[in-house]
Amino acid sequence: MQLLRPESVEAAAAALGNGSVALAGGTDLVPMLRDRLVSAETLVELKEVVPRGVEGTRIGAGTTLAELEVDPEIPAALREACALAASPQLRSMGTIGGNLLQATRCWYWRLDFPCFLHGGSRCHAREGAHREHAIFGNERCASAHPSDPAAALLALGARVRTSRRELGLEELYRLPTEDDRNVTALEPGELILELDVPRPEASVYLKAMDRARWAFPLVGVAAARFADGVRLALAGVAPIPWRLDSETDLDRATPLPGTAYKVELARPLIRRALHSVT
Amino acid sequence: MARLIRTEKEVEGRYTEQWVVVEEDAAIDQWPAGPRETVGRPVPRVDGYERARGQALFTADVALPGMLHAAVLRSPYARARVRRLDLSRAREADWVLGAIGPDDCDALTLEPGFHGEPVAAVAVDSPGRAREALELIDVDWEELEPLLDPEEAVRRNELHEEPRRYERGDADAAFADADVVVEAEYRTQTVLHNPLETHQSVCRWEGDTLEVYISTQFIWGVRDDIAESLDLPPDRIRVICNFMGGGFGAKNGAHAQTFIAIALASQTGRPVRCALSRREENLATGNRNSTIQRLRAGARSDGTLVALEGEFVNAVGWKGWSGPTYGPMEMLYACENVRTLTYGAKLNLPPNAAFRAPGFVEGTFGLECLLDELAGRLELDPLELRARNHADRDLADDRPYSSKNLLECYRRAEPHWARRDAVRARSEGPWRRGVGLASQIWYGGGGPPSYAWVRIGSDGRATVITAMQDIGTGTRTAMAQIAAEELGLPLDRVRVSLGDSSRGPYASISAGSSTTPSMGPAVRAAAADAARQVIEIAAQRYHLEERLLTMQGGKVVSSDGGSWPLEEVTGLLEDAQILGKGARGPNPTGMRVLTFGIQVADVAVDVETGEVRVERIAAIHDVGRVINPLGAQSQVEGGIIQGVGHTLSEERLVDPASGIVLTQSLDAYKLPTIADVPEIVVELLDIPDEHLTNLGSKGLGEPPIVPTAAAIVNAIRDATGADVRSLPVSRDEMLRALREARERERAAAPA
Amino acid sequence: MLELVVNGGRYEVEAPIGQTLAETLRGPLGLTGTKIACGEGHCGACTVQLDGVPVLSCITLVHTVGEREVTTIEGLRDHPLVDAFVRADALQCGFCTPGQIVSAAALVEADPEPTPERIRHAMAGNLCRCGTYPRIEEALLTWRD
Repeated sequence: MQLLRPESVEAAAAALGNGSVALAGGTDLVPMLRDRLVSAETLVELKEVVPRGVEGTRIGAGTTLAELEVDPEIPAALREACALAASPQLRSMGTIGGNLLQATRCWYWRLDFPCFLHGGSRCHAREGAHREHAIFGNERCASAHPSDPAAALLALGARVRTSRRELGLEELYRLPTEDDRNVTALEPGELILELDVPRPEASVYLKAMDRARWAFPLVGVAAARFADGVRLALAGVAPIPWRLDSETDLDRATPLPGTAYKVELARPLIRRALHSVT
Repeated sequence: MARLIRTEKEVEGRYTEQWVVVEEDAAIDQWPAGPRETVGRPVPRVDGYERARGQALFTADVALPGMLHAAVLRSPYARARVRRLDLSRAREADWVLGAIGPDDCDALTLEPGFHGEPVAAVAVDSPGRAREALELIDVDWEELEPLLDPEEAVRRNELHEEPRRYERGDADAAFADADVVVEAEYRTQTVLHNPLETHQSVCRWEGDTLEVYISTQFIWGVRDDIAESLDLPPDRIRVICNFMGGGFGAKNGAHAQTFIAIALASQTGRPVRCALSRREENLATGNRNSTIQRLRAGARSDGTLVALEGEFVNAVGWKGWSGPTYGPMEMLYACENVRTLTYGAKLNLPPNAAFRAPGFVEGTFGLECLLDELAGRLELDPLELRARNHADRDLADDRPYSSKNLLECYRRAEPHWARRDAVRARSEGPWRRGVGLASQIWYGGGGPPSYAWVRIGSDGRATVITAMQDIGTGTRTAMAQIAAEELGLPLDRVRVSLGDSSRGPYASISAGSSTTPSMGPAVRAAAADAARQVIEIAAQRYHLEERLLTMQGGKVVSSDGGSWPLEEVTGLLEDAQILGKGARGPNPTGMRVLTFGIQVADVAVDVETGEVRVERIAAIHDVGRVINPLGAQSQVEGGIIQGVGHTLSEERLVDPASGIVLTQSLDAYKLPTIADVPEIVVELLDIPDEHLTNLGSKGLGEPPIVPTAAAIVNAIRDATGADVRSLPVSRDEMLRALREARERERAAAPA
Repeated sequence: MLELVVNGGRYEVEAPIGQTLAETLRGPLGLTGTKIACGEGHCGACTVQLDGVPVLSCITLVHTVGEREVTTIEGLRDHPLVDAFVRADALQCGFCTPGQIVSAAALVEADPEPTPERIRHAMAGNLCRCGTYPRIEEALLTWRD
């Protein structure tokens, strides 16, 4: 294995692909390399090329969750989502860009079952143990997206600047399909460089988890109020961060036997989030 | 003179008879109750700095010259047959120095019965490449259908032993006569020990002696396991464990990793480390198995329990033992008519292992929740119901207790219980608050054999020498306190040398809350023997009568006024030393030695989201004399915190089709964090057991975890009216119970 | 050859790409106070500071440390928190304790008088299976006494 430290975005983009993998905080990647969920001949360290820090509404993708958690310039929903994410050490290491691209915690996927998301023919969680799994978008793959900040950023209407384009956070994510099992629309070698996060009039992130701290969301609810209304987004309920228009959208959920409680759990959280921002 | 006696020994409820040698015929009187100079006073642990500074050498830190690193090929299936195991590619690779299969080591098998069972192993000299070497092992697996459902195992009679049946009195008649009968089914989940130091051993041949560095709770048990399994003379096996990173019951024997390391050390002629990864730890080193408990209680309208009945299914796994889930039902209350039936289901799941009060944690959850359901039906105060059914004598064995102060525990619980109205009144919005309690019964008397030596040098300092282990409970400190007290020395002049079978006498297992009650009396006896010798020497040197002399404050003191610094007396011997020897005497004949207590929990439940917060737990336990109140408080807190994890967040999950363990890592398997901890109030009665040894101390590692789950779940019922019957109380279970309570209320409401 | 600054000293070590900081500290540098208990960033036993920030050395690749100064428990042996932990009996088996103290030292550096809420937030990534959390909280509330 080798490690490259490119000094420009172009050099980094050029170095990626062909068995090389981008390395930022490493909190997700390093364990996955060890578990061989990711194999790489070359690691491309992004520290020098991805911006870090907050400037106005712009957040460098290399900014750590720990930095965002305490930055008063950041909308409350994102600050709270960062503060409730992972553990303090993981927040000190993990970058916001990496957080958006982290892989699911689905135990079948993590243990390398030949599941749909790994390119196989079926989702093992649907028939198996799935209390932490999805209630939306779960027909082919019932994994749950683990990112708290992603739900917050989705509710905030954040936009993403990559090494190739600018896109809304909604466009960054896609449900895996028969032809393409990725959950993001990033192309090979494409890097997230920066986020642009509109300032809401008010925002909040509420999270239900199995412990008081250091757990992935069972359900996370982000709400942000803008002049033209409130935007809602959920973590832990679908293979990707999930937008809802209102609580009644929960009626369209397609829970599995073991995730029906998440629908019940999401209702009061949505009501409380809405109450909090209006 | 050595006196040989035959005595009964109990570890975690399993009784055996054995011979022991007691050195001293003259019994040593117990100290009066209450704090002494050192014993009974709070003392920071004597090895605190070594541990806090990272200087303590754990097995994980042992690095011997030329040491190899083992990796273990484990079954990826819950049940399989290895049609062909071919180690030749591994043996041919020049960087792989050892490769073994079932022919080389009995801990390996070609017919694995659970996910993670060891099949083969390799040794390489770079830890980073050990796993890579496993890829050179060629295996032809035949996957077989696993048996995973405990009820199905019972139906098919796939059991570890004959079903255990117990009956006293006539339960059927008593149920027929009862004014009120309640019944319910309770379930507890599988939980994992997860000591932070995983199971590991480093083994090396030194000539004809086998050296084993191991993270263990029982140095001598490791020695015995190896001697028996490899047919070696026990004294040619040296077992070393100076510091160990937690066990909680999972490290009572040599375990597979030791036998693998020995086989590879024999094959390669090099020292071999076999250390489990966290994931291996959570597959193959044991667990508190899940249970199903169908329980029934009958009472008269005044609350007198007339009948108890329980059917228990222990989902033991592929190996292991069927624990005493029935224990609390048979032992806790003065109920004349009790019937239990217990199955130990043999399943294609990882074996269980003793886990901090095995069986009693699970059985207390069921029984003590049922008692509260009964109290509800009888409209009786739950504390009153328990006091009314207090047992003055052990009915299971028909023996008196050596000591029992449970009623005093109940009395001390009253102020905590009386807060109930105030706690409930603090309910607001979706948060409902309530208080619950549960009683505790468990063993903890320890027993012989256990031996200790105390050496006093010319510098007037003492060393306690015994080949025990301190598994983190602070026994090193407690033993130093006991010796210091007996020798009249300040604590900083006593050291404890432990952790090496070749450097000290036989010592007890650290399990079953037995270390302090087993080892403490032996250490005191050894110190007394050493003190006697010092006094004899002083009497001769200074021409005094022995009966006038005592050891106090680092001096030999005469009651007629003179005193001599200890080092002046022992200095007469120059480099020679005084050696005292002590043995643990037998437990009181014909008596039941048990620990008791009660916990009172305050909880808050968000009835909309199912979030449960344990806000406060008051723990009152009767464990005899307390040696170190500071360490004891930490033990109680630790037990309660493990209990909180067991109650709220911990659960090992298995794929229901394949039996593959899904929660192997510590993100998926959720131990409590510091943010999950309630306020904990600890009250230990500190009343010496006058019949038990020269100390009157019982163990306290396990009692605190026993009642925690039931107290929390009873508080949840008090707060919300919801009957939680299954652990853990995750959001799904809490929301289900709340929904059921609402429906029950709706059905009961007048139309 | 790789240069590392650890506890104020500069070291040259040989390490293949992919080796973690924890492996390097415990192996070639012989600093075994840093423990590996899960090896995948979940438990906090391997916590060290990089330029004062607590990180998980078991999932930090040693080649990404660069010029940042590594502080391990060996560099904090005389920190008043060590005394506070021992006094408050904030350890049982002690396997997680070095990591606890490294995290705690970063916390009190940022906030010498942390509230219980702040302690619970900042220390939530250091698991203690023995359950010494109430004592750890006590040590952090009394460390300057």
